[in-house]
Amino acid sequence: MRQRSMVILTSVLTTGALTLTACGSRDDNGGGSSDGGNTTTLTIGVDAPLSGENSTTGLGIQYGAQIAVDDANKNNLVPGVKFKLKALDDKAQPATGQSNATALTGDKSVVGVVGPLNSGVAQTMQQVFASANMVQISPSNTNPELTQGKNWQTDKKRPYKTYFRTATTDELQGSFAAGYAFNDLKKKKAFVVDDKQTYGAGLAKIFAEQFKKLGGTVVQTDHINTGDKDFGSLVTKIKNSGADILYYGGQYDESSLITKQLKGAGVKIPLFGGDGMFASTYIETAGAASEGDLATAIGVPADTLPAAKNFIATYKAKGYKGDYGAYGAYSYDAASAIIRAVKAVKDANGGKLPTDNNDLRSKVVDEVQKSNFDGLTGKVSFDEYGDTTNKQLTVYAVEKGKWKAAKTGTAD
Amino acid sequence: MSGIGPVEPGDGTLAPESRRPDGILRRPHPTHLLPHSRPLRLTLAALLLLAGAGYLYATRPRPPAPPPVPYPIQVVALTYPADQPAPRPAGSHAFRFSVLVSVRSGPPVSVTRVSQPYAGLTVTASPAPPFRTRAGSPRKITITMHVTECGKVPRNAGFPFLDVTLRNPQAIQDHSFILGERYARDLSEALQVACSNESGHHQNR
Repeated sequence: MRQRSMVILTSVLTTGALTLTACGSRDDNGGGSSDGGNTTTLTIGVDAPLSGENSTTGLGIQYGAQIAVDDANKNNLVPGVKFKLKALDDKAQPATGQSNATALTGDKSVVGVVGPLNSGVAQTMQQVFASANMVQISPSNTNPELTQGKNWQTDKKRPYKTYFRTATTDELQGSFAAGYAFNDLKKKKAFVVDDKQTYGAGLAKIFAEQFKKLGGTVVQTDHINTGDKDFGSLVTKIKNSGADILYYGGQYDESSLITKQLKGAGVKIPLFGGDGMFASTYIETAGAASEGDLATAIGVPADTLPAAKNFIATYKAKGYKGDYGAYGAYSYDAASAIIRAVKAVKDANGGKLPTDNNDLRSKVVDEVQKSNFDGLTGKVSFDEYGDTTNKQLTVYAVEKGKWKAAKTGTAD
Repeated sequence: MSGIGPVEPGDGTLAPESRRPDGILRRPHPTHLLPHSRPLRLTLAALLLLAGAGYLYATRPRPPAPPPVPYPIQVVALTYPADQPAPRPAGSHAFRFSVLVSVRSGPPVSVTRVSQPYAGLTVTASPAPPFRTRAGSPRKITITMHVTECGKVPRNAGFPFLDVTLRNPQAIQDHSFILGERYARDLSEALQVACSNESGHHQNR
């Protein structure tokens, strides 16, 4: 009898153990290599400011792409291929960006690049990537010239077929901001300042044009230099101009100081800027002076994107530095577009990657152009200029020390 | 030489041995691991079975949870159709055109308000809000713009838009739809006509 009881007990325990084992393996996602160690490792490059000015948003780009790479590897998105990230710091300097582009194209394992943050940096990189026939997708460049050529207002012409972006352009951003300032805020007199950079100057110009078209007046324009810290003379000009709004084309590093000094001088008008100043650092630096200031940003608030929930949770759980809010999800989608393009190339080639690296890069460019998938930010696809077809924008206002969405818009 | 040698059993640490009647030395069964009474053993087995079954039930393969209801602005498109004819006059200071509301996926979305942000203009929509649109069944909306003050209308707005309020089970959202370059051009021309008619009337008087 005792032996029979033992048999029953052993059976129950064994069955339970086997069941537990089976249950455990059911959830496995096959993350291990299933091709007998025949794994190819490809590199996704990232170029962004990772230190110094603009690095809050630059780091958001780096880690957004990192999470995309990690997800692709975890889910074995491209069987037989593992991806790794190689992030280079351009310090928001065009010359450094160009050197990084040369370094990335020289690395045979790099199949595509995400970045840069700044439109001015992108201008120096485009030719390098075009020569190497390597895809470059920026999650944040908004200057229209990058995709539509110098004469984009009259004769759109794509300069480089290797350049794409998941961010919409300043043509929309500047117009949307002008509409909000004039119609919603009822502002009629704008003082417009820019930082003389490709992005800042371009955006400020578009805002000014659109503000005037709507019936507003641009009372004065002025320029500053990146890296400036003392804006005393600018503040005096703004104070004397009678402007009821200050529009700034540039980055948060300078605009956070401008608003602080402006409000400190008793000029209580809002500072309105573009996506370059949509960063938590703006509020942290400007403090209470930032209350009521505004910024447009590409896309809609991340908390209204169900697909971005896991991304945000992962970013926070990993303790990544920087701010994912502005471009993190767009960077994730940019990296995903490259990874999916690699998969498409492999699938079309009988399940094998082209042995010639240049051939692989060239085909990835073609496949990125055909992208059509649901990303974190919505549908990811590109038009004939390499611009995203997902053209959403949000006006944010600083309210109680936080950026809060005030208006969202979608362009056809 | 130094080091630690094999550990020797200490006094009283060996398991007690016993002899069967046939004299064969045998180790005792580890009966202390099992309950001594049969009913207790059966109860334990039953409990284990129950626990196993419960675990199996709890971890059974289930269909994936339905995707969360998307926010309205993520699934609604409001477009100025490519085959849209130029806006038609609708009285001396008004004109009319159509837009298309479509829902890509998810539950129906209600449009509860249609407006436009520019001074000197008012807008009406037909059907009048609120109205519902289902996924896969685009709805044509007739928009009538009424010019109330020609001096204030933006005759050449770069990217004019329509404002709508959308509602579905997830959220109520105000959203602007920028209808593109052709809409901007058509709107500009329609405004020119509407307001030049007015000045024309004045001149003819």
